[in-house]
Amino acid sequence: HMRDPNNQLHIIKNLKIAVSNIVTQPPQPGAIGKLLNDVVSGSQPAEGLVANVITAGDYDLNISATTPWFESYRETFLQSMPASDHEFLNHYLACMLVSSSGEAEPMEQFSKLSQEQHRIQHNSDFSYPKWFIPNTLKYYVLLHDVTAGDEQRAESIYEEMKQKYGTQGCYLLKINSRTPNRASDEQIPDPWSQYLQKNSIQTQDSYEDGPCTMTSNKNSDSNLLSLDGIDNEVKVDGLANTLRVHPLHLDQSSDPSNNPDGSDHTKFASSAPGTKKATAGVTHGACLTLTDHDRIRQFIQEFTFRGLLPHIEKTIRQLNDQLISRKGLSRSLFSATKKWFSGSKVPEKSISELKNTSGLLYPPEAPELQIRKMADLCFLVQHYDLAYSCYHTAKKDFLNDQAMLYAAGALEMAAVSAFLHPGAPRPYPAHYMETAIQTYRDICKNMVLAERCVLLSAEILKSQSKYSEAAALLIRLTSEDSDLRSALLLEQAAHCFINMKSPMVRKYAFHMILAGHRFSKAGQKKHALRCYCQAMQVYKGKGWSLAEDHINFTIGRQSYTLRQLDNAVSAFRHILINESRQSAAQQGAFLREYLYVYKNVNQLSPDGPLPQLPLPYINSSATRVFFGHDRRPADGEKQAATHISLDQECDPESCQQWRELEEHAVAVANRGAIPAGFQPTQYCLNSYSDNSRFPLAVVEEPITVEVAFRNPLKVPLLLSDLSLLWKFQPKDVSGKDDEEVKELIAAGPEMIGTEVISEFLINSEETKVARLKLFPHHIGELRILGVLYNLGTVQGSLTDGIAALPGYHTGKQSLSMSVRGRQDLEIQGPRLNNTKEEKTSIKYGPDRRLDPIVTEEMPLLEVFFIHFPTGLLCGEIRKAYVEFVNVSKCPLTGLKVVSKRPEFFTFGGNTAVLTPLSPSASENCSAYKTVVTDFPSVGTALVSSASSVDFGIGTGQQPEVIPVPLPDSVLLPGASVQLPMWLRGPDEEGVHEINFLFYYESVKKQPKIRHRILRHTAVICTSRSLNVRATVCRSNALGDEEGRGGNMLVFVDVENTNTSEAGVKEFHIVQVSSSSKCWELQKSVNISENRDARLASREKGKFCFKAVRCKQKEAAVQSSENYTFADIIFGNEQIISSASPCADFFYRSLFSELKKPQGHLSAPPEKHSTEDAVRLIQKCSEVDLNIVILWKAYVVDDSKQLILEGQHHVILHTVGKEAFSYSQKQEPPEMELLKFFRPENTTVSTRPSVDQLSNLIKTSLHYPESFNHPFHQKSLCSVPVTLLLSNCSKADVDVIVDLRHKTTSPEALEVHGSFTWLGQTQYKLQLKSQEIHSLQLKACFVHTGVYNLGTPRVFAKLSDQVTVFETSQQNSMPALIIINDA
Amino acid sequence: MAMCIVVIAKENYPLYIRSTPTEYTLKFYYMVHTSLDVVDEISAMGKALVYQRELYLGLFYPTEDYKVYGYMTSSKVKFVMVVDSSNTALIFQKLHNSYTDVMCNPFYNPGDRIQSRAFDNTVTLMMIQVC
Repeated sequence: HMRDPNNQLHIIKNLKIAVSNIVTQPPQPGAIGKLLNDVVSGSQPAEGLVANVITAGDYDLNISATTPWFESYRETFLQSMPASDHEFLNHYLACMLVSSSGEAEPMEQFSKLSQEQHRIQHNSDFSYPKWFIPNTLKYYVLLHDVTAGDEQRAESIYEEMKQKYGTQGCYLLKINSRTPNRASDEQIPDPWSQYLQKNSIQTQDSYEDGPCTMTSNKNSDSNLLSLDGIDNEVKVDGLANTLRVHPLHLDQSSDPSNNPDGSDHTKFASSAPGTKKATAGVTHGACLTLTDHDRIRQFIQEFTFRGLLPHIEKTIRQLNDQLISRKGLSRSLFSATKKWFSGSKVPEKSISELKNTSGLLYPPEAPELQIRKMADLCFLVQHYDLAYSCYHTAKKDFLNDQAMLYAAGALEMAAVSAFLHPGAPRPYPAHYMETAIQTYRDICKNMVLAERCVLLSAEILKSQSKYSEAAALLIRLTSEDSDLRSALLLEQAAHCFINMKSPMVRKYAFHMILAGHRFSKAGQKKHALRCYCQAMQVYKGKGWSLAEDHINFTIGRQSYTLRQLDNAVSAFRHILINESRQSAAQQGAFLREYLYVYKNVNQLSPDGPLPQLPLPYINSSATRVFFGHDRRPADGEKQAATHISLDQECDPESCQQWRELEEHAVAVANRGAIPAGFQPTQYCLNSYSDNSRFPLAVVEEPITVEVAFRNPLKVPLLLSDLSLLWKFQPKDVSGKDDEEVKELIAAGPEMIGTEVISEFLINSEETKVARLKLFPHHIGELRILGVLYNLGTVQGSLTDGIAALPGYHTGKQSLSMSVRGRQDLEIQGPRLNNTKEEKTSIKYGPDRRLDPIVTEEMPLLEVFFIHFPTGLLCGEIRKAYVEFVNVSKCPLTGLKVVSKRPEFFTFGGNTAVLTPLSPSASENCSAYKTVVTDFPSVGTALVSSASSVDFGIGTGQQPEVIPVPLPDSVLLPGASVQLPMWLRGPDEEGVHEINFLFYYESVKKQPKIRHRILRHTAVICTSRSLNVRATVCRSNALGDEEGRGGNMLVFVDVENTNTSEAGVKEFHIVQVSSSSKCWELQKSVNISENRDARLASREKGKFCFKAVRCKQKEAAVQSSENYTFADIIFGNEQIISSASPCADFFYRSLFSELKKPQGHLSAPPEKHSTEDAVRLIQKCSEVDLNIVILWKAYVVDDSKQLILEGQHHVILHTVGKEAFSYSQKQEPPEMELLKFFRPENTTVSTRPSVDQLSNLIKTSLHYPESFNHPFHQKSLCSVPVTLLLSNCSKADVDVIVDLRHKTTSPEALEVHGSFTWLGQTQYKLQLKSQEIHSLQLKACFVHTGVYNLGTPRVFAKLSDQVTVFETSQQNSMPALIIINDA
Repeated sequence: MAMCIVVIAKENYPLYIRSTPTEYTLKFYYMVHTSLDVVDEISAMGKALVYQRELYLGLFYPTEDYKVYGYMTSSKVKFVMVVDSSNTALIFQKLHNSYTDVMCNPFYNPGDRIQSRAFDNTVTLMMIQVC
């Protein structure tokens, strides 16, 4: 409470007093800088600080609301401002003189101190501290240590003091009512801790040894104590209302009591210079009791109310009086005053102009300064109204005098006091601040003051929510000279941006980055990191990748220097993972930095789990797993089975094919049924295969995992010591350590061997696969977890230019910058989509391709093909050899081959004598088994017979599955067997892919794997050779020798369709064989002039053969599957067609043929007798004759003549129909109109075609070809003609023979009118099955000439049928007779 | 001469960034990104007059060495250009035309990064030419 000059009561609240040592030195600029730095770095955001979330547009930012480091910086900054001449705010108002009661002569001491103070104040040696007014208030304090001193004496001294200095000016302070040793027992809060803690941070410099801040705040429980070398700083802060912190200081100094033994307080360790910082805060204040606290508080209050405030009041009044008097003067004598004052000023001016651009230096007693002084005082006691007007006046004066520094100070303070004035009668004069700052900075070049001004101004603006102005202000002050200040200001500016009405997020981020940059320059690493992190929130994931990378990089670096390695790693990781558009060099730098940091992380925790590396990318779904050995490369003539390898692309179509083949094989092996739970064997697992089950691996067989790496960077990556990481749970027979899970490689190579790829280089932006192998040596469950490698860069590759040469870099080079780490392989299974639940939610199935179960030993087969051709002519027969090797330690059995194209190859029949000639010896031999014959004439056939059963074509078996004739049917470990194999080129021209699947089993039955398979795909290119067309028709010639029912003529057209000029010169038809159950070729009818039956390119040859029925009994023929083979030879070698391989291929082609037109042969049994009849009729027109044409082709190849051999098959079913060896060009059926009609089955099926009926009865006329008749002797010529009727069917047939001429056709009349049949013109006969009947007819001629005797019409019907299928059996050929006149 | 030309999508992510290859690339990035705040400010200001508003936003702010100009299409796609001098309104017009061409490409998926060669050429021309 004080009265202002107008005697109005003025209430002061929250006055703060700062006390300091009188011998304080002005702080050194360097020291200030250090101090500020420490303050800032000491103040870090609290860990659990709740950050506010600010949502600006599409940004959600976490921003800590407070910036304590900035506040403490500001506070410290303002505190450490040196007192300056042009303003009085930091000047001291009063002085406390303290003496201990233990002193021998306290009174003397006081007077000594008083003198000392006077000396300090008025001696020019002591430029610091500065004093407010010449006659400083002196306050005498007697300090009494209750425990040590004599109370009486203290009282008496106090009395003495009161007498000397008056009650107003002295005080007896009793403290230390306790002994220090009791201190630890009591739980009294340390009253000093609040102050000392801060102090201990700040007390590196001796100028503030034991400052105790006193507050007269009513809440304050803090107090002052001074001791020897006391420095009491009384800080008066009157601004505790609107702004939380607005520190303006009035520093007073109390006098130093150089009382050496005045302090027996052990607690004030700070008295001892050496230990000022070290002592623990716990001991502070330990000797004070609560009453002591109260006493101290009381003391301060006493001091303030009785000493300080009245003093201030008095001073203000004084100054005011002075001013009023001066005002009166100045009004009238304005200019005079100026002159008057300037007179004294002039000398200083000239000096000051040299050193101070502000223009003027006022002497301390100048009236302008008095105004200022008064304003400051008013300000201190919170009389802002008065302060403002005073400042305003002072400002005008200073401006008039061009004393810029003073003016700026006044302006600043005017603005502040205007702002602080609670009633706010006038708007805040923002321009004052602006001008002040500008003046400070530009004219005075005083950055410290400018900074103070800016800080104040910014706070004021912020409180008025003029954020953009504040930000602009703050930014303007950032400069090169102080990084810390710039950083803090930029950060504040950033906060201003975010706090604006429409938050400017990006500006915030940008300034945060700038601030972070400055922080890092200022060495404030934590703050720098924090700033970058905050900015990161804005840039993250918005596509500004370059900026993002930069931030990440900086974050990484800062984190690293702060030893926050995890953060550093993640930040660097982020850079590398992002698909960034950095240049290669930059990426390389990032990578190196990352590796370096990582290395450090690892060194810190060498035992920790291996880190997950981010690079290179692994396309985990492209991971493929392969069980088994690598394929052996083709070795000369030996060609290994292709099997499966990782090199192959997997297409689902072929997978399905293989699966079908395997099913066939399994079905055959299990006697027709596929066992439940059958699953196709999978050797190669990829993203297309079914991975829902645990795959099975066989012990001692390698497991290859192919991992697809991708390098997203523009720099090559070098992976070294690349290996798989796995976990193995051995299944021990003893079962003792079932539970033991062996982790990692350390489990030892005796369990599972791991292949290590020592160097694996991935070039920039390359996708590369690495194949890693495991060798399981025990059975159990394996889990492949991931890959393990050293990630490194290729160093010096850019300069050396040897980047492309992996393996060139020595290990040392790469190891220097590499980091060991792992990357897990986690494969997501396919999305489940079966049940409704799975459809509605997103669920993924398991993918177990990396979790194989290692099972017991299984046999392992390898297959090699020797002399396996790649190109064949259609129908060509080639002999090759197959070698089966069992490379495992188990015997194998049950070897089978499955193929979709069984007609392509054969291992020979069972009957064939297996003489596995060595492949080399057989090179020039024919594939066929031949017998040299010296049959001079070709006409007749050699007959042999063979059963189809012998050739492995049993009934009911699946023809696709062919057992391999192993000797003893077991292949022992390590054994190998070579078997001959014949191949026949497919009939179709083009490239054929033929899949073989070798199926085999172990001798021991295994529960898990029943069988194993081996695949082979052969690619054969065939070119056109021959085209064979054959027809069969009934021979009209009577079976001359025996009366056997059937003679037929077989016409075979062979055309050379080979078009390739270079290769085949000509074809020789070597042999034509027939094969049938009931027919055989008897002889060749037309013996052509070229005996070899050569066919050059595009030539066509025609053969005609006579076929007769076999001699065997029909019943026997029907029951057995015996086929009769008849060979007609054109050369001088007979190829035994009934032996391997000719017969094999024949049967195979037969079966594959039979599969196609099945409806024809196995018509369902029909009820109606008519249909029986039809079938009978049909049957008699059937022939079941198969023709095999064996040929040789002469090929000129590189001036070497080769003889190729081959065979074609023609299957003849029906008389008169043409059959082809291969229906070459099937015209695509033209689009048919869709017809809607009711299928009339009955009529269609029961009505046998005319063609078929005409084959029922075979007729032939026997007559002399020419007949001489002397017409002049006898005008009528009669010729005997025999008509032979033979029943081809197996039923009785009624036959009507009508000799009468048909009258319907006029042309017939004309032709036949010249002769007539004699005798009976109609015969009715019944012919038994296969019966031959001859009718004797007589033809009568009247003229010479040529006549056609083929006029009799024969009608036939089945005798037990009611309906007559009356069909004229017209002779196809005219039967001509020549009648000559003899 | 333009130093840096950026096309920014409505959602404020870059569709196209091209700058002269200097060490200032990062600086340009930051500059352009920060200028989005100015765009926001301007567009917020002119909300009432959105139909009359010029597409050309004018000078955002001058820095020591460069000036940043902006342009916003009706679909809120922004063009920002860092130049060292010149009449940019015309350049922006050209850029807009070229951008429209890109948009007319049926194979261009709006929102993707612009990878058109024609657009590239236009930009290159702008960067070379002293306009």
